[in-house]
Amino acid sequence: MTTPIVQISHLSFGPLNKPILDGINLKLEAGHFLGIVGPNGAGKSTLLNIVAGLTPPAGGHIDLFGRCLTRFSRHKLLRQIGFLHQLHDHAPRLPMRVRDVVAMGLADYTAPWRRSHHQSDIDDALNLVDMDHLADADFRHLSGGQRQRARLARALVRKPKLLLLDEPSAALDSVRQEKLFQLLRRLCDETGMSVIMVEHDIAAISSHVDSVACLNRRIHHHAMKGEDIPEDVWRAMYGDHIHIMAHDAHCIGCAPSEDEHGHHHG
Amino acid sequence: MVEMISEFLASPVMGEALLPALLIGLLTASMSVMVMAHRLSFLTVGVSHASLAGLGLAVTFSLPLLPTATVFAVLIALLLALMPRKKGISEDAGTGILFAGSMALGVLLISTANSSEVDLFGLLFGNILTMSPIDLRWLYLMSALIPVIFFLSARAWWSIAFDAVTAEASGLPVSALRLLLYGLVGLTVILCVKLAGIVLTAGLMLLPAACAWFWGRSLFSLWILSVLFSLTGTLAGLFWSYIYEWPSGATVVLALCALFVMSWVLNWVKIWVSAYKV
Repeated sequence: MTTPIVQISHLSFGPLNKPILDGINLKLEAGHFLGIVGPNGAGKSTLLNIVAGLTPPAGGHIDLFGRCLTRFSRHKLLRQIGFLHQLHDHAPRLPMRVRDVVAMGLADYTAPWRRSHHQSDIDDALNLVDMDHLADADFRHLSGGQRQRARLARALVRKPKLLLLDEPSAALDSVRQEKLFQLLRRLCDETGMSVIMVEHDIAAISSHVDSVACLNRRIHHHAMKGEDIPEDVWRAMYGDHIHIMAHDAHCIGCAPSEDEHGHHHG
Repeated sequence: MVEMISEFLASPVMGEALLPALLIGLLTASMSVMVMAHRLSFLTVGVSHASLAGLGLAVTFSLPLLPTATVFAVLIALLLALMPRKKGISEDAGTGILFAGSMALGVLLISTANSSEVDLFGLLFGNILTMSPIDLRWLYLMSALIPVIFFLSARAWWSIAFDAVTAEASGLPVSALRLLLYGLVGLTVILCVKLAGIVLTAGLMLLPAACAWFWGRSLFSLWILSVLFSLTGTLAGLFWSYIYEWPSGATVVLALCALFVMSWVLNWVKIWVSAYKV
């Protein structure tokens, strides 16, 4: 039996009487692409931050690559992880070329004596996200979507075993979004990288991921590919005033409807 | 002009002041890049002013001035680094409180001590010519130490300034590195106090990188430019202060300000030209 990339058992976070996460169990094999969906405030980002070692959990246990994630092991374990966090109005101030931003993702970036022999890795990573023509551009002058792709290249450049993405498509248009999901799918299949991706739009991801976990404080349902998520799961997560529409796997993104709020595609 | 320069270089006073001033210029230029990147300008103001309390303690208990002030300033800087950011008081408020409190304490201590020994004006506005042999040795020691730490940590600090969350998630010990940065800023600030005084130190800690910010495109080019601006400003400032007998600290800071304004205008012209060039 192979060691799972991530194994989470009985994870909890937040005060006991009002937990933000409660009884989370999750297992991720190499090459698996997991999407996490759920309403705002469901604890999606918190869960990702805990796996990324940024927030210590209140209870439970996390194994990464077969080793327990603790305060002491985290610095080593995290070198094998790529992480793209959710952006909060992040206006870059530092003068940097795109190439330098990507270089920051290299595991030995902070070592002052190693240089330049990673240039091909940086070019490869930029190539993956179609940013090679902007390698020498000033990062501050890029658009939001281009910056997001540069950051993704930064997360990919170290060839992580596990990639954690918090709403990576937020700044991307629907074509770029689709390309991103296809890229992630390809990397999972070809390199055995595992991905945990938080997204709010399940319709956009469902044809690419291997499984979807519906999270709202606890994991309500863990559906494998092709499996429908039962209506009562949606109700448990989002409440009663939700309108559920059927969609098929070829639905790319979703055309914005007149009334977007409260519509979820299951 | 050439005569004036050779006279300036040959004068024994400048012979003594030149090396320390250039060393200080080199150290502040390096640290100012990180001060700009991490938005620590108010920290440098706070720590330099807080050092008055350290100097007051040194005078009251007849301790050596510079080392006592250094220990005090580093402690203040570390205290500010450890101050919880999310809960409680914001960093700028904390800095303001410590700054005012320790400045008040310093004034009190110095006024009650036998103040005939203390050159208060020199403390406030700096005088490079009043460095004692102990001060000089301390400066040489720091000039060896700070660049080494800077060289080893610069990229980590840069990466934290760019995106602290991702830096943390990639395994960097962000809190420890931040503590080190604050401590080092504290150390450097105290060295500047000799040249520029408590009031003007923030200028030295900020202006070199602020000038370079218009032109640099990467950490390395920023650093190089910052050093060049700093050394140019220091040399020009010392030269004018010698020729016209102006106070050295103020003249150096003014020279750096002039470089900043020139950079700013030139950068503006550059943008203007490139916008109209089809």
